[in-house]
Amino acid sequence: MKICNQCILPETFPGIKFDDRGICNHCRRADSSSTDPAVQKAGYRNKLDTLITGVKGTAPSYDVIMAYSGGKDSSYTLKLLRERYDLKILTLTFDNHFVSPVAWQNIRTLTDTLKTDHITFKLPWPSAKAIFCKAAREDIFPVPALLRASSICTACIGMVKSLVLKTALEMSIPLVAFGWSPGQAPIQSAIMKTNPSLTAQNQASLKKALSSDAITEINQYFIPENYYAIYKDRFPHNIHPLAFFDYDEGEVIRQIQALGWKEPKDTDTNSSNCLLNAFANQCHIKKHGFHPYVLEIANMVRQRVMGRDEGIEKIYSEQNQEMVKYAKEKLEL
Amino acid sequence: MDIKNRIRTFIVENFLFGKDAGLDEETSFLDEGIIDSTGILELVNFIEEEFHIKVEDEELVPENLDSIANVVKFLERKLGR
Repeated sequence: MKICNQCILPETFPGIKFDDRGICNHCRRADSSSTDPAVQKAGYRNKLDTLITGVKGTAPSYDVIMAYSGGKDSSYTLKLLRERYDLKILTLTFDNHFVSPVAWQNIRTLTDTLKTDHITFKLPWPSAKAIFCKAAREDIFPVPALLRASSICTACIGMVKSLVLKTALEMSIPLVAFGWSPGQAPIQSAIMKTNPSLTAQNQASLKKALSSDAITEINQYFIPENYYAIYKDRFPHNIHPLAFFDYDEGEVIRQIQALGWKEPKDTDTNSSNCLLNAFANQCHIKKHGFHPYVLEIANMVRQRVMGRDEGIEKIYSEQNQEMVKYAKEKLEL
Repeated sequence: MDIKNRIRTFIVENFLFGKDAGLDEETSFLDEGIIDSTGILELVNFIEEEFHIKVEDEELVPENLDSIANVVKFLERKLGR
């Protein structure tokens, strides 16, 4: 398969065009951008410093609620927020029934070591199973969303985003943090004030995608309609700091290991917490012809926070068939 | 190229992969699944660079960004036209 000579995007990626040097249109657009990434990242660090100075200690309970999976990136983000900014943090873990036992241990260890409160939200297995089976079998999300993640991941993350935002509104928490990697989302989303109208439209799309005869009661996982008016002044800032702080995967792992974090051996090459990911990746590759993590990893290669060879290994290795089998059997697919 | 065509070209090339059938000025990007919430920020990045403007947090609403017509109206206001 032909892949870009600069990043790692394949010829099967939707809309890709290569020039005569074998460089893709995504790389050419990044190369021609007038924005200096180092200056842009410094600007975002200053923006976060200013934002935190303005909100720290002003809320009744917590400064920030963080979506915490126990994986390496969210663990490192938690460390950053606690140690650099000394924030009062509430961590929330969404139990999707596929969290690695090692990840659970990491969650317990780091929330203790970093002295942060923690809550778990678990939906019943029949509901989780119905949602993941629907996401695996049907085309429930628009193509643009599937350029960045598998259908199963998009469903799961969509619920996580809803739950942390809902909790932030209810508890008047001014910041919502995520541990997205530097390639996972555009830097423009790294510090962004949420608002009722855009949130309402996104929630409606997600609810429509997940609804089915088998999943009748999902309203409780979303923002209730009356919240948009009642809490209109409480809509928090979303932050994902790894988009603009120095990022080196080896260093990230070294720093969190110093806090007691352990690397799971039962997950795939693109996850350090989820036992469903290999199956989700395999479904996506079969259906769409490209790896669901390829855009994220290509962005990281382009930003030089990951070597191209390492990126190729992460994306173009075979999925762990034991993990695929485990998830398929659990979901009875 | 005028504002409308620059926006249309960006959407077609980046989100519709060259196929613009059915995309009229009033089509809702989010309702029709043309752009997702993250894609909206890629559109914001494009219009900031292309038109040398800054989109403020409070301007990140569907009323400004959810169709070609809305983006054109928003840009015309921002550019003082």
